[in-house]
Amino acid sequence: MGISVKGLVKQYAGKPVVDHIDFEIADGELVSLLGPSGCGKTTTLRCIAGLETPESGRIAIDGEVVFDADSGVVVEPYHRNIGMVFQSYAIWPHMTVFENVAFPLRVRRMAAADIERRVGRALERVGLGAFHDRSSQQLSGGQQQRVAVARAIVHEPAVLLFDEPLSNLDARLRDQTRAEIRQLQRELRVSTIYVTHDQTEALSLSDRILVMHDGRIRQLGTPEAIYARPNDMFVAEVVGAANFFDVTVDDRGAATDTSGATFHTAFAPPGSGPARALIRPDKLLIGPDPGGDLGPNRLRGTVRQRLFMGGYYEYVVETRLASPRVLSSAEFAEKAQVVLSFDSGDCIFLLKE
Amino acid sequence: MSGARSLAFNNQRSGWLIQAIFGTTFLVTAFLIITPLAALLHGSFQTGSPGMPTVFTWKNWADLGSGNIIHTLLITCFISVVTSVFSTIGGAGLTWLVYRSDFRFKRSLVAAVGLSFFFPGFILAMAWVILASPGGIFNDVLDELFGIEWLQFDIYSVGGIIWIQVLHIIPFAFFTLRGPMISMDSSLEEAGYISGANPWAVVRRITLPLMIFPLLSSLLLCFVLSVEQFAIPAMVGIPGHVNTLATELYLLTSFSPPNTGLAASVGLAMSAVTGLSILFQRQIIRRHNAPTVTGRGYRVRPMTLGPWRAVANGVCLFYVAMSFIIPALALIYTSGIKFFVANPFEAAWTWRNYLQIWDSPGTIRAFWNTLVVAGGGAVLGLTLGTLIAWFTHRLRPRGYRVLDALASLPFGIPGIVIGLGFLWSYVYLPIYGTLLVLVFCYVARFLPYATETVGAQVVQLDKALEEAAWVSGANRLASFRRIILPLLRPTLQSGYFLLFIAYFREIAAAALLYTASTQVLSISIWAFFENANWGVASALSIVATVITVTLMATVMRAPLKV
Ligand SMILES: Nc1ncnc2c1ncn2[C@@H]1O[C@H](COP(=O)(O)OP(=O)(O)OP(=O)(O)O)[C@@H](O)[C@H]1O
Ligand SMILES: [Mg+2]
Repeated sequence: MGISVKGLVKQYAGKPVVDHIDFEIADGELVSLLGPSGCGKTTTLRCIAGLETPESGRIAIDGEVVFDADSGVVVEPYHRNIGMVFQSYAIWPHMTVFENVAFPLRVRRMAAADIERRVGRALERVGLGAFHDRSSQQLSGGQQQRVAVARAIVHEPAVLLFDEPLSNLDARLRDQTRAEIRQLQRELRVSTIYVTHDQTEALSLSDRILVMHDGRIRQLGTPEAIYARPNDMFVAEVVGAANFFDVTVDDRGAATDTSGATFHTAFAPPGSGPARALIRPDKLLIGPDPGGDLGPNRLRGTVRQRLFMGGYYEYVVETRLASPRVLSSAEFAEKAQVVLSFDSGDCIFLLKE
Repeated sequence: MSGARSLAFNNQRSGWLIQAIFGTTFLVTAFLIITPLAALLHGSFQTGSPGMPTVFTWKNWADLGSGNIIHTLLITCFISVVTSVFSTIGGAGLTWLVYRSDFRFKRSLVAAVGLSFFFPGFILAMAWVILASPGGIFNDVLDELFGIEWLQFDIYSVGGIIWIQVLHIIPFAFFTLRGPMISMDSSLEEAGYISGANPWAVVRRITLPLMIFPLLSSLLLCFVLSVEQFAIPAMVGIPGHVNTLATELYLLTSFSPPNTGLAASVGLAMSAVTGLSILFQRQIIRRHNAPTVTGRGYRVRPMTLGPWRAVANGVCLFYVAMSFIIPALALIYTSGIKFFVANPFEAAWTWRNYLQIWDSPGTIRAFWNTLVVAGGGAVLGLTLGTLIAWFTHRLRPRGYRVLDALASLPFGIPGIVIGLGFLWSYVYLPIYGTLLVLVFCYVARFLPYATETVGAQVVQLDKALEEAAWVSGANRLASFRRIILPLLRPTLQSGYFLLFIAYFREIAAAALLYTASTQVLSISIWAFFENANWGVASALSIVATVITVTLMATVMRAPLKV
């Protein structure tokens, strides 16, 4: 059930753009593909949709194999039971809103009364109940996006595919629509792949996030896991802001930086030798300097910059070897002497790349 | 807008110069376009021929209603409607194969279509006479080799004209349709596949409706091309006593007793038909643009042809064979034999026909004349076209709309009609019988080619490039010379060769305007052919085609890329 992708390879001009990708998506799960521009997200999505033919691998949708390079199975996109929202929305300009949404039902030769009912329901769902007969040329960007979503869900597909559906909307509409997509997907309980390069979108929407880089999977996991325990520095930087400290890990799994500060982690270190300690800005606690010896997981520093962000402050604190960013609601003046501390559970060692 | 204008004309020195250039451009254009039209109008009210004693009359306009002219008009419309329908269908089919399917030989197909695009119509017609006239190769082969007598081809017929015209105009339809097809957002079609529609349903319910206006526009353009087509109906229609308006006009002018006055009114009536079609086509283009690519995510998923692949290959091969390969082979064959026989094994091979080209001083002169008219004329035509494009798209001084309208007028006027206009202008112009009249006529006739080619590029050029030059201290002329001209250079090059080739192969206007000393190649070939000297005509065609194709291959590569 859901979606299963095994050993997927897609090349352009002999250069692999998607390079041996494996993943499974459970029934009703929403997985985001997250990664920098050009890493192969759209290509992966289009392979699943059947709009690209991969060089090798196997793809199954809802248990049915739709592509298998070994046995030569290639199911055409129009025989895969999918719904897709294009980045450009691809609303057909020569059809009304109603006809756009009705199209998947018409090509399935559904009875007129059923079409009427289901299109009505789909349009209600996306909040466009009153837009039936509107020409598709007279829609705002946000409305076009909703028509595209209605068209993608109207035939109750087995999977939903989104390719950066919010990237053409303005910031406020984006936040609202994101929440709506999430709710809609929960209600429909349909397996969904959501391509984005926006970390906030991925973190807030997904059951799991798949981080891609150069056509390969870097990490697949829940948003919380990816945020707190990234596999490597690349993932750490793609998901959320990150502070890194150069350290040397000893045999017992503790680390020191060259200034002598020690870092302890609750997680197994990747081995001994040079590494980097990652601590998220919201996990660094800032407090007044009590003086004297500080002990482990503590760093002395000076406030270099203070930005008031509304409910909290963002500080840049200069320590001896790094200048981490720190989020806190406590107030400190610029140039104040402070101590940064953190929990072993919020510190993770990553190999240098 | 007004800001740009004040910048142009505040600077005293360059403002004055630009005004002077604009004035000159305007006058030259007006002279070139209005002279033949005014002369035609004048001529349509005269009893005599240009230069002969003549009096005012209404008769030429009244004669438009005569049975003969009405019959010719109906034939012309029938031929043109059928031609445009088949050409558009053919062109659309080829476009779809190249830009939407997984057809295997896209590059070769585009190259072949490009070749036949540049294959002159009169040479194609000649080849088809050799192939399919009653005594031609096809009939001989059917009769003698296979003993089939019931199947007879007769190219000298309405069907023959349509057949050659469709072959000739399909590439044009292809090149007008491929722009809209390429720029159409392919995710619109992909959304159709995703919705569950199979390829046929996607073509029918999405691609076709979205392409309807480009198709309509192509239909109208092909119609106009067919109405104004002269060479093909002249070569296969006149012998078969099938006349179109274009050939009727020629016959009225060139055979005694000439009725140049009636020819003028026929020409004006013809221009009304083509002009209105062009107006309509422009309206369509302006109102309805096909939805185009919106930023990122543009990719085309080629449709799998599957079992239809063989059909597609076959149809394309057939088209390429009929429009280029077989005609070219027929010409090569005919140019290499002493007396025409259909069976190559009975033929007496010879170089005689090629040698005869060099032995005939008239032909050598025609070569030089063509070189002067095409090579030199294209410089004039391109210069004028560039100035007009620049004034109408960028500077827009007072009166630019009039200039624009004047320059696009020849779009709607058939070549033979402009030729006739210049013939009538003999009354006021002392250039008749010189090469200059051909140059003037060609520059006027193909002016829209130049303004459209250059204009399309001018519109694309970001205005900021030029503004940056102004801000850096360059005045309008300096920025034009140092920034714009270098950026336009590739366009100017291809524009030059487009004009060169158009002038090189023009026959309709030349047929009315040439004299013994101003004969050009196209006319020489036709004359040899008319005198039943197929061998020399073929040899000369081959030489001319090789020259054209070589030029095209070396410099016009750009439009042939997939
Ligand atoms: N048709 C094509 N021909 C050649 N290369 C292509 C083609 N389509 C995509 N590529 C290349 O494949 C790589 C992956 O492209 P893809 O569109 O999947 O990236 P993406 O992760 O979706 O990026 P973005 O966030 O910018 O949309 C890119 O380097 C791109 O240049
Ligand atoms: Mg993408």
